Amino acid sequence: MALDLFRPLKNLYKIVKQNGGVTGSLYKLFRQDELKWGELVGEDKFGNKYYKNDYYFYGRNRWVEYNDKVWLDYDGSQVCPEWYGWLHYKTDYLPHEDPGRPVYPWMQAHTQNLSGTRQQYIPYTTTKPKIEAWVPPSKK
Amino acid sequence: MLRLPFSRGLPCVRVVWSAAVRGTASNPAPEKIEVFVDDKSVLVDPGTTVLQAAAMVGVEIPRFCYHERLSVAGNCRMCLVEVEKSPKPVAACAMPVMKGWRIKTNSEMTRRAREGVMEFLLVNHPLDCPICDQGGECDLQDQSMAFGSDRSRFTDIHHSGKRAVEDKDIGPLVKTIMTRCIHCTRCIRFASEVAGVDDLGTTGRGSDMQVGTYIEKMFLSELSGNIIDLCPVGALTSKPYSFTARPWETRKTESIDVLDAVGSNIIVSTRTGEVLRILPRLNEDINEEWLADKARFAYDGLKRQRLMTPMMRNKDGELVVVDWEDALIATASALSHAQPDEIAGIAGGLVDAEALVALKDLLNRLGSENLVTETIFPMEGSGTDFRTNYLANSTIAGIEEADLVLLVGTNPRFEAPLYNSRIRKSYLHNEQNVALLGPKINLTYDYEHLGDSASDLKKLVDGSHPFSAKLKAAKRPLIVLGSQQLARSDGAAILSHVQQLAKKLSSSAEPDWKILNVLHSNASQVAALDLGYKAGTAEIRQKPLKVVYLLGADEGTISPNDLASGGVVIYQGHHGDVGASMADIVLPGAAYTEKQGTYVNTEGRAQQTLVAVTPPGLAREDWKIIRALSELAGYKLPYDTLFEIRDRLDDIAPHLTRHGEVEEASFLDQSVELSKNIASSFDSSPIDVKQKHLEDFFMTDAISRASPTMAKCVQAVLKQKQSKYYEGEV
Repeated sequence: MALDLFRPLKNLYKIVKQNGGVTGSLYKLFRQDELKWGELVGEDKFGNKYYKNDYYFYGRNRWVEYNDKVWLDYDGSQVCPEWYGWLHYKTDYLPHEDPGRPVYPWMQAHTQNLSGTRQQYIPYTTTKPKIEAWVPPSKK
Repeated sequence: MLRLPFSRGLPCVRVVWSAAVRGTASNPAPEKIEVFVDDKSVLVDPGTTVLQAAAMVGVEIPRFCYHERLSVAGNCRMCLVEVEKSPKPVAACAMPVMKGWRIKTNSEMTRRAREGVMEFLLVNHPLDCPICDQGGECDLQDQSMAFGSDRSRFTDIHHSGKRAVEDKDIGPLVKTIMTRCIHCTRCIRFASEVAGVDDLGTTGRGSDMQVGTYIEKMFLSELSGNIIDLCPVGALTSKPYSFTARPWETRKTESIDVLDAVGSNIIVSTRTGEVLRILPRLNEDINEEWLADKARFAYDGLKRQRLMTPMMRNKDGELVVVDWEDALIATASALSHAQPDEIAGIAGGLVDAEALVALKDLLNRLGSENLVTETIFPMEGSGTDFRTNYLANSTIAGIEEADLVLLVGTNPRFEAPLYNSRIRKSYLHNEQNVALLGPKINLTYDYEHLGDSASDLKKLVDGSHPFSAKLKAAKRPLIVLGSQQLARSDGAAILSHVQQLAKKLSSSAEPDWKILNVLHSNASQVAALDLGYKAGTAEIRQKPLKVVYLLGADEGTISPNDLASGGVVIYQGHHGDVGASMADIVLPGAAYTEKQGTYVNTEGRAQQTLVAVTPPGLAREDWKIIRALSELAGYKLPYDTLFEIRDRLDDIAPHLTRHGEVEEASFLDQSVELSKNIASSFDSSPIDVKQKHLEDFFMTDAISRASPTMAKCVQAVLKQKQSKYYEGEV
């Protein structure tokens, strides 16, 4: 195969075009430290977009671009469980194609990892304090 | 009357006792005899046992039943040793040595005798060391490792099984697992000899022998915890401490007990910032190796009802939590807005000398001289100017040398149990006689009851009382005056008469023998009087007080009604009790396990506590609180470290920093002269003591009142008194 000396430039063109011009590309680069071009395969209920491009080697050919609303606070746990399998190569089916994915009424809606936020789970102690303080008698 | 029930009947035991008795040096010293222990020559007094002779050359013979402070039983057979030319091994604890004996403590015969005894003991002992509270401090464990055989012939586990004995319920303090008992009878001997309560005994014989109380009853003694220490195995363990910790996990701090005025030496075991148990520490001059139950078991009171944050009363009259800054500023402004004479400081019974001197310095700098202790002491005559007036001058160990003890209005059994155990010890072994002026109580020894009328003191002084002849004949008489009697309206007359009686007896007594003893009821009174506090709140209650600083004062001797309107009560202490409930500002201090403080016991011996755990929450060491307060009040106290405040103590009273030593006092003649003008009219009310029965013993101060264990003890004693088997002895 002949060596295409212009391929990097072509790819750069594709990237800049797909990501919304020069300003859009700089914005994406700032947010996710990476610029890629590829095919949009779907979007989940949180507004995260999933891309695929087999031009990149295995392990980098599927990726997610998080919803713009979360700005820099994106986190791996924001990927919903339906897309998790495809994104991590557990399956090649996209969520809507996957036959083995029953939905039951008792299944809880997915939430991201809330550690470090106000909604985080804080366990409380069930042991008695070693020293009990005096409670002053109330006047009433 | 036979004072020692059974041990005196044993001929060999009597020899041992007479060698141990103090103060019988009138006989010429008998010739020493030479024996050989493992071929090492040693010269011993006649009557010395093989075990004592071996101890003199540093050979320790294993033993279970033998204990230095108890009579010899000789029933465990662990101390068997070979004596040359003797066909059988001899029990070293009970056998007096003969001239020229060659004792072999490491021979084949000795070794096999020990292995045999050990094997028999272990056949009848459960293998529950992993769940036994004695594990790690068990004599049986240690000695089976050191002297036992490496195998056993016990195989009968499927047929008749191991010996099993039903557990006894002897109260909320001592847990019994009687299957573990090896029948050393130490607990029985302690109960009958030291505690003076013949509750424990044996039933059956051979492998059916059981140690118990015959009928199910509580072990009604104020010294019951000591049988836990005495038990060489895990048959008697501490109930509050059960399944809590192993000895190697705990950190041990040597400290001083402050729940009575004896100042027993203790070891505080702690782990992860929590006091787990309190054990006695050997001090021959004070507590020997015993400890009273209140001192040993009231430590769980240190974990309840604690003051952990500063508090102030809000406008609704409720105490609310505040910062140190707010509390100290409020206290300082209250102090600086009052006139000097409107400020008073009242010290309670658990306060260390450092806090006492800091409060005194602060109030003196503010111009106030109203510094008093809660406990009353008559200020007439020489008052507290002479230490001899308010000390137990003949010391605690000195009781053993006395030949006659006159107790005036005191129940040492519950006011100071280890003081009482000394009297009982001397009563048993030194032929000491005891007389009591006060209500009829059970002191665990016989005494001559002189009635309960205070005016009998006058008869004793002028020699018209029937008992005067015995007092006069005594060479080393001792008068113990209970500090409670000084709170009576005729307290000054009682004290002055006791002083005059002591002065009078000193002419017939041995020279330099001290007679007058005051037995205090709390740990801080002597230090407070040494530092110049006045005693009793009656005088300051007359003044128009605006600010009252209660330093651990929980007896309720003053109430907010005694203050002028708009008065402020400041409470500094470690427990929420009477004082904190009526306070407007609460400053949380440290309890005795949490600070390094000096305490002076009733004989005038300064001792210090050490820090075992940190004060809880925001609580701080007491003298540091007062030091911080002084800076805000504008009168900065000139000490920043413990050494500097100890220097200040040293300036006022040098004995306060000489820890462990008794500072003697001797101005009895002068004090008697000064007390001659005191009105000698006595109340017609009989002399009474507050603590008459065992249930009165357990809860007497802020710490023991907060202790659930002590509350259980009171309930258990009251329940026992309902029992049809109760004989009305305590």
